[in-house]
Amino acid sequence: MYKSQMNLIIGTSGSGKSVFMKCMIGLIKPEKGQILYEGKDILEMDKDEKKELRKNIGMLFQGSALFDSMSVENNIRFPLDMFTDYSLKEKRKIVNDVLARVNIEDANKKFPAEISGGMQKRVALARAIVLKPKFLFVDEPNSGLDPKTSLVIDKLIMDLTQEYEITTIVNTHDMNTVLESGDHILYLDQGRRGWEGTNKEIIFSDNQRLNDFIFASDFLRDAKEKRMSELQSSEIQ
Amino acid sequence: MITGFLAHFGRYLLMLKQMFRRPESSKVYWKELFHQCNEIGIGSLWIVIIISLFLGAVTTVQTAYQLVSPLVGVELIATIIRDSTFLELSPTVTCIVLAGVVGSKIASELGNMRVSEQIDALEIMGINTHTFLILPKILASIFVIPCLIVLSMFLSILGGYMAGTMSGILNPAQFEMGLLIEFVPFNLFFGLIKAFVFAFLITSVSAYFGYYVKGGALQIGRSSTKAVVVSCVLILLADYALAALLL
Repeated sequence: MYKSQMNLIIGTSGSGKSVFMKCMIGLIKPEKGQILYEGKDILEMDKDEKKELRKNIGMLFQGSALFDSMSVENNIRFPLDMFTDYSLKEKRKIVNDVLARVNIEDANKKFPAEISGGMQKRVALARAIVLKPKFLFVDEPNSGLDPKTSLVIDKLIMDLTQEYEITTIVNTHDMNTVLESGDHILYLDQGRRGWEGTNKEIIFSDNQRLNDFIFASDFLRDAKEKRMSELQSSEIQ
Repeated sequence: MITGFLAHFGRYLLMLKQMFRRPESSKVYWKELFHQCNEIGIGSLWIVIIISLFLGAVTTVQTAYQLVSPLVGVELIATIIRDSTFLELSPTVTCIVLAGVVGSKIASELGNMRVSEQIDALEIMGINTHTFLILPKILASIFVIPCLIVLSMFLSILGGYMAGTMSGILNPAQFEMGLLIEFVPFNLFFGLIKAFVFAFLITSVSAYFGYYVKGGALQIGRSSTKAVVVSCVLILLADYALAALLL
């Protein structure tokens, strides 16, 4: 995966995207292979090394996974309470800054059940980045969201990736995300690497299975043809 | 069936073993412990009060019904209430009710956390979820449930006193005399030992079923039911074992 970039993992349902992501973050032990974080294999790390690594990992789950019994503020403050010695005043300031960064206002005292799906995703994203991690894993950020909110979430993740210089890895089915924000795309086909490239290269790919997956509808196929000719003519110019 | 039982038992013991790790933040863990004390203790207070009052009252009336011989003084009703309450009614009956109230709450809370990936979120943050989620519950119950049992013992005797005196079965002086006849302090101590053991069983078994749930809402419900049933069976087995060993 590439630093300070949006690394996307795409594939059909059952292709192994979620399992692959869980292996990368150490929730599942793979049968073979290595998972290297800055040259060190997570599978060979002892408990303390893994614990240190996990402090540098943030994750946004598909269902947000906010703690129901805590307010929005306490959800985001939780990693700070656990892993830092900041005073309460300092923690509150960090929480307010992060909430402002994800465009949430006046929701500190609300509970997860009292806010919308889009807001839950943004709160979960705020919690994932509050400790300024090196790696951000995002599992289907657009699931359950309307197209407009999906674009907002995508842009937020892209901006945070560049601003915080995070290596972001995203599992997604959303073609908008793939075509708009995929700096580096990995297509999984039945658990194996099917294709790898950028969001520009994906348009010119001759991988039939990839094309059938990405450009499944007539509308997208026509849009692809149009985009290809635009890119080719801009290259000629 | 036997291999299934052994697998569960082994996983249960591993869960208990994994609880004993250094906490990431003592301050957060203390806060969680007091939060659980409030949830388990204060949350169950009213049901314990109501059950205990009626337990004592009903036992008084039914004992009076059975005590028909003129050779046996009515003050013995109070003695029987006292010893029944200390030895069995308060610790066992109250804990069986608490297995339903507290046990199902713990199992469904942890089950919901598992299904909605909140436990995974904690694991990814580098938090030992066994220590953070389960240990405070067990410690809180070991501290708070014996306190509830002591309260239950007092209220049960009070319930018996009120039922006995108001219905004319015996007068207050007879009841007080009966309470003092052949009082064995060990009975009270035995009741408290039961309370500690039952408290541990209720929370650890419920936490086990909730923590390892797989599936959706249906499985959460099933695990909650299983937690209560298994807790109740283990309470009754432990009740017999303790009585056989210590009395």
